[in-house]
Amino acid sequence: MPEVIIDGKSYTYEGQYKLLQFIQDLGKEVPFFCYHPSMSIPANCRQCMVKVGQYIIDRESGEHQLDEKGERVIRWFPKLQTACNIDVADGMVVHTQETDELVRRAQKDNLELILINHPLDCPICDQAGECPLQIQTYKYGPEGSRFEVKKVHKPKRIQLGPRVVLDAERCINCTRCTRFTEEISKTHQLTITRRGDKNYPTTAPGLEFDDPYSLNTVDICPVGALTSADFRFKARVWEMNQTPGIDITNGKGCNIDLWTRDNLVLRITPRFNKDVNGHWMPDKGREAYRLFNENRISRPLQILDSEQILSSWNNAIATFNEQVEEANKKEILVIGSAHASVEENYSLARFSNLLGLNQPVFVPHIIEGTGDGFLITDDQAPNTNGCRLLGFTELDQKSIKKAVKKASLVILLSDHLLDRGVLSPGDLDGKFLITFATNHSDTTKRADLVIPITTAAEHAASYVNVDGRIQRTIRAKETKYTNRRLDLEMSEGRLDRYGTNFDNWVTEENKIDCVPVWSFISQAAGAQDLDLVLNEGREIMDEIASVLEPFEGVSYHLMDEQSGIRLHLDTKEKTKT
Amino acid sequence: MSTVDWKNYEPVLIPDIKDLNKIDVYIKQGGYKAFESVLKDKNKWSGPKSVVNEVKEANIRGRGGAGFNAGLKWSFMPPVDGGPRYLACNGDESEPGTFKDRKIFEYNPHVFIEGALIAAYAMEITTIYVYIRGEYRAYIQMMEKAISDSYEKGFIGKNILGTDFSVDFYVHSGAGAYICGEETSMLESLEGKRGYPRVKPPFPAQKGLWGRPTTINNIETLAHVPAVINRGAVWFKNIGAENHPGPILYGISGHVNKPGVYELPTGVPVLDLIYDVAGGMRNGKKLKAVIPGGSSTPVLRADQLDGITMDSDSLRTVGSMLGTAGMVVMDEDTDMVDVLWRIAHFYHHESCGQCTPCREGTGWLEKILLKIKNGEGEVRDLDLLLDITTQMEGRTICALADAAAWPVRFTINRFRDEFEARCKKSVYALA
Repeated sequence: MPEVIIDGKSYTYEGQYKLLQFIQDLGKEVPFFCYHPSMSIPANCRQCMVKVGQYIIDRESGEHQLDEKGERVIRWFPKLQTACNIDVADGMVVHTQETDELVRRAQKDNLELILINHPLDCPICDQAGECPLQIQTYKYGPEGSRFEVKKVHKPKRIQLGPRVVLDAERCINCTRCTRFTEEISKTHQLTITRRGDKNYPTTAPGLEFDDPYSLNTVDICPVGALTSADFRFKARVWEMNQTPGIDITNGKGCNIDLWTRDNLVLRITPRFNKDVNGHWMPDKGREAYRLFNENRISRPLQILDSEQILSSWNNAIATFNEQVEEANKKEILVIGSAHASVEENYSLARFSNLLGLNQPVFVPHIIEGTGDGFLITDDQAPNTNGCRLLGFTELDQKSIKKAVKKASLVILLSDHLLDRGVLSPGDLDGKFLITFATNHSDTTKRADLVIPITTAAEHAASYVNVDGRIQRTIRAKETKYTNRRLDLEMSEGRLDRYGTNFDNWVTEENKIDCVPVWSFISQAAGAQDLDLVLNEGREIMDEIASVLEPFEGVSYHLMDEQSGIRLHLDTKEKTKT
Repeated sequence: MSTVDWKNYEPVLIPDIKDLNKIDVYIKQGGYKAFESVLKDKNKWSGPKSVVNEVKEANIRGRGGAGFNAGLKWSFMPPVDGGPRYLACNGDESEPGTFKDRKIFEYNPHVFIEGALIAAYAMEITTIYVYIRGEYRAYIQMMEKAISDSYEKGFIGKNILGTDFSVDFYVHSGAGAYICGEETSMLESLEGKRGYPRVKPPFPAQKGLWGRPTTINNIETLAHVPAVINRGAVWFKNIGAENHPGPILYGISGHVNKPGVYELPTGVPVLDLIYDVAGGMRNGKKLKAVIPGGSSTPVLRADQLDGITMDSDSLRTVGSMLGTAGMVVMDEDTDMVDVLWRIAHFYHHESCGQCTPCREGTGWLEKILLKIKNGEGEVRDLDLLLDITTQMEGRTICALADAAAWPVRFTINRFRDEFEARCKKSVYALA
């Protein structure tokens, strides 16, 4: 097998690799800025310099040429090479900064040059703390600067588009952002303007950087040149917790990280998953952080004298059971939701099953023509396929109206049917509407009983995306009834770990008074003496896996291990992206 | 080494013939005969490969500065695969001190066109681009005229001279960037993109213009080709310096009495060029320094020039290069600090900004030199300058960083006294 020697250690390999990627895959490091595994390699930052040579093979004998001491003779490249764009080859000898003074010196030299015109305003820069330039300068950079003349001044605080702000002075001209719009989002909106040390990325004159994927450039910017207009100056990165999650704004299920502080989700960034979203996500999914914080329903709501008022959980459970018991079983319509997780829908289905109600129905939320074939789908909901695999009956607008007409009690899971125009208020005249919901809407306003439930940021639950991939979330923010320190799966940031509830940055109001659907249903069932205990997502999924054939073998453990599991969809069940 | 007999040399590129730029005059002088011969003379030429071999044999070393054997470069073109192949002619000459190709555009455009056509035939290329520096507005128009005349006479176009060889010839204007003279950024510019040099490999012969095999030659290099075809490789090889043969256009500028472009053999002694060809130093001043081949080549002191001839071997012995043979001659009144600042200013202005060392280094060099020029520098700044040049050299995609660093390094090393005299004395506290 071909062999490559890196810092004196021999590694065998198969296939084709670029040296930088190969070294990274080994768990070693070479500093770099412009390289990105998903984009073309411009080799322009010149940071990943390494010394590269090749064993000399004697042409006649085919053996390694040896020197007097019997050591293999190495022919070194006359210049240092950038590791990012050089192919790993058999017999290649590489010295990185770990073993070679010349390489260390070259990397230090390069960082000195990168920094001479960089404003070094880390204390007020959003990128500080997660900045490749900052990190690598501490690791490989010079101790001081010998630059005693004037820095170049360039435009600052330029609103490139609705979501991205440019500080051209911080830019190190790695061209990741321009390559992103050329190669990934293909809008070609950004380009480098001007020459030499005056250049910076910008749009064509008069045009906006309104790419639906524009915020990805903020993620890949290796400095603080591109920042998010929305997130700017909201938090330092070290104050936040980072929790893996799933994008619930469309059917793709992009893997994301939720960044929280004091139980507010402050931003959402993509998390790499080669089978789903790569390194990217649409801007719309990031804006969804507001759903977790704002306009939330906290404590149950009930209608009293035609006015919706805050109620108590005891009241809510009592009302719920009363209504279910009083209604004619045939006239109870249970509506699941593609906007809710598999576990939530399953809990509802279990409950209706025990009571002998009809299998829940659901109304897919698909708007033809809104998808782009990349990460934005026609499907507006994260779990359409989950509902299908649970065996829920798929209804269109006409049939749901018909079904509602026949019902006297409608139990609706987390789907704003009035807001999205599936039902009109007249359809619900004279019906008792119970809805489980996370956020206030016209639908919840009409409901006779509103049960506030947890969002994807507050419970661990799974979603099946348009390709049939089941992926799950992890609790990122606390509710009134959860505690970060007791829940071993929840992440703890510095502030959470070392702060107390009496710190002035703690706001108790950020904890929403809501419960997971399954907890409410368990309690309601308990009050009815039904044999139904649904504890938490993990156990519910185990139960689903044991009783429902499409979910066979699925578990949280396996999902975590494999970053999601591809389920078998019947072709007719698969939605269009 | 025998001295080159340059006094009896008869020019072939820019001979003194009235109206040679007109196609009729050029044809009357035997023009386009070489092209016709390679197309039609089946006894002399067995096909495109034989033309490549003849040019390779002549050892025309690229006149754009790198000095690579043109015929050898042609032989790197991969076999024809049915897809497009390109010849890109580099007429972007923008290096300070270099102004030779414009003479060809102006006085003898057809010798270049003929050379390019022969090259296209030899490499079985059907599209030729000539990329001309944007500031050469007048020469661009002249070239456009010359090419359209040549189309009219049937030397360019479909089925040239009744053969099955067809070729198209386009003029492309630069937009004022020095970097677009670098061969791969010229390709980017031709494609309508920003002039950023490309990472090599892949080399243009494999993946050039629009990802297709492309050969890039300097204008003067191609202009030598018709004579090689007419008179043979041996004739060419016997002219001038042994390892760098042939006629060459010397562009002599600076403090001489008769600055201009002179066509002579390679290997003419530098001092002969200054004192005989260019009419000696202006106002009888003493010679101080010479930049032999465009601003990026290391400057030489007058005392280094004895017996040095204009070819790469001889210039290497004193630590410089032939480059484009654009000589800048400087007399005793020249302020080397000013000269170096001006050169550094140029490279700062022209760095494309792609690679870190060049983008940041060129500006830093200029700013320190400006400080020294204004009498605010310190002696330690000189060492810092030398240090920065080592941080730039050989660490970028193209050679612009080298071109910017060398003048700084060699001018300071060779005129250190002058630089120190302009610096403030560094004051050190006694221990």
